[in-house]
Amino acid sequence: MLEKVIEVDHLRQTYDGRNFVVDDVSFYVSKGEIYGLLGKNGAGKTTTIRTMTTILPVHYGKVRILGMDVSENAERIRKRIGVVLQNESFDFASVERNLKVYGMLWDVPREVLKARIEEVLEVFDLSSLRKVRAMELSGGQKKRLQVAREFLHDMDLLFLDEPTVGLDPIMRRSVLNYIRDKARKGLTVLYTTQIMEEADYLCDRIAIMNKGKIVAEGTSSDLKAKYGDLKTIHVIISGELDYNSLKVKFPEDVIVDNDEIRIVSKNVEDILPDLIIYLKARGIRIERISVEESSLDDVFLKVVS
Amino acid sequence: MIPPSLRLTARNLIINTDPGTLLFLIGLPSFYLIVLGLMFQALIPNVFFEGHSISYAQFLSPGVVAMQPFIAGSIGGSMLWSDRRWGMFEQLLVGPFHRIDYLLGIIYVSMIFSVGGAMLMFLVSYLLTGFVIHYVVNIILIILVLLVSSILFTSLFLVLSVFIRTIQTYNTVTMFIFFILDFASSAFYPINTRTPIGLRIISYANPLTYIVDSVRDMMFASLNRSDLIYVMIVVVLSALFFIFAALSYRKAKI
Ligand SMILES: Nc1ncnc2c1ncn2[C@@H]1O[C@H](COP(=O)(O)OP(=O)(O)OP(=O)(O)O)[C@@H](O)[C@H]1O
Ligand SMILES: [Mg+2]
Repeated sequence: MLEKVIEVDHLRQTYDGRNFVVDDVSFYVSKGEIYGLLGKNGAGKTTTIRTMTTILPVHYGKVRILGMDVSENAERIRKRIGVVLQNESFDFASVERNLKVYGMLWDVPREVLKARIEEVLEVFDLSSLRKVRAMELSGGQKKRLQVAREFLHDMDLLFLDEPTVGLDPIMRRSVLNYIRDKARKGLTVLYTTQIMEEADYLCDRIAIMNKGKIVAEGTSSDLKAKYGDLKTIHVIISGELDYNSLKVKFPEDVIVDNDEIRIVSKNVEDILPDLIIYLKARGIRIERISVEESSLDDVFLKVVS
Repeated sequence: MIPPSLRLTARNLIINTDPGTLLFLIGLPSFYLIVLGLMFQALIPNVFFEGHSISYAQFLSPGVVAMQPFIAGSIGGSMLWSDRRWGMFEQLLVGPFHRIDYLLGIIYVSMIFSVGGAMLMFLVSYLLTGFVIHYVVNIILIILVLLVSSILFTSLFLVLSVFIRTIQTYNTVTMFIFFILDFASSAFYPINTRTPIGLRIISYANPLTYIVDSVRDMMFASLNRSDLIYVMIVVVLSALFFIFAALSYRKAKI
């Protein structure tokens, strides 16, 4: 039985007391695992992270981190976790000073800190920027500094809230590899992203969040088997459409939004001719039609509907 | 192992302190001392104070010493602003600290600034009037009063930074409070029966009055029972403000 580093149990969170932006979320993460939280803007990923990192009090449910309840052991938990926030955060100083001060805040021994600063400057390609002031860095460079900083101190669990936003593809890959390397050495990672391939590459297990709920969860191969090689038919029509009969005719997931029909399926080639015949028989005009690779968005729509 | 609050203090000194601005702000009251002190000294005969006859500039010097905790407090409050501005507030809240450590980190820095500023004021006052203090041991008492007052004013400004939405408003409110506290106090003139009743009430509702009065007694006279009461008032107010700051900062928007 693997040690559970994160246990979230029927968590519900609200900012205004009425809308639950995290709504009955349960999951666990085992030691050494990289767990991905995927979801669109506003899905509730950051709110979930804020709860796990002790910033937000738990409204309903239970959250245990490293075996401790977040409501009771916030300080003890914070000493053992690292957090890369989604929002920009840095000190008003040079890259090097940012790293030194951050290591000092974590009470990293001087010699260890020195070596680690050199390591992260190298890994995150910041060596040539060490004297540059943080607010003069580009967006991606700031993000790199923010992620690099978190690897200066020891920790058992690392939260990364969309850490690769703004990174170029080469840097993105090397950051992902670095994280994976740390996980192999026993670090547990909770990772959020909106990019499916990234989660696929990095994460042992993935949860897809939508509107505050986890709508799908599994290893990346589980999810791939379920949602892989999906395609989406988009049709723009004019004319009255009987949604229910369409639904009966095409039991695959059909979403109708005003005059737009979306069908997400693995075998669009079979469905497409039938759909055209079906629409033609009812005197509905097709204004536009297209078949596309499913985006993350389509997977969501499929999972939600 | 260095306690977390001291690590945060060190960070605030390294990151959130701009030496030029700092020197300007804590040096500002020395202009009162030089300009007002010298100007009014020509108009006002010596002030009789607790059996001593002192010049107006001497009378004013405890006032400018006692302004230091206020100035240091406002600098402390603005540190919360810059931490929020650069996103470090939230980052520090998930850091390896107790929540109160963040407040202490700012209060300690204010204490350092306020004692440092007071020393600067003593220096200016000495150069101007040739007088520092009657009883050297009282220096320790003055430092204690300054430290406690730093808690009071830093807490006040931390509360303001939590509730005020924009930095412009924060600065305006700071200026406003600065004027009210400075001029409706015993810093510039003695509060006595000749003082208009309205001003007298405001002055005695003003913590700066008690700080100035106790510092003045510690500089020029021997201590008496009223000083003990003044110091008690300052201690109680500081404790209340600190609790208020600790509670309101839990609500701080990130
Ligand atoms: N501080 C806040 N006050 C009020 N509402 C908030 C606050 N932060 C987030 N919300 C709301 O909570 C919901 C979930 O937001 P959250 O930041 O958790 O989403 P997310 O999945 O991290 O999105 P993104 O991918 O854009 O970062 C959103 O509808 C948002 O408007
Ligand atoms: Mg987010």
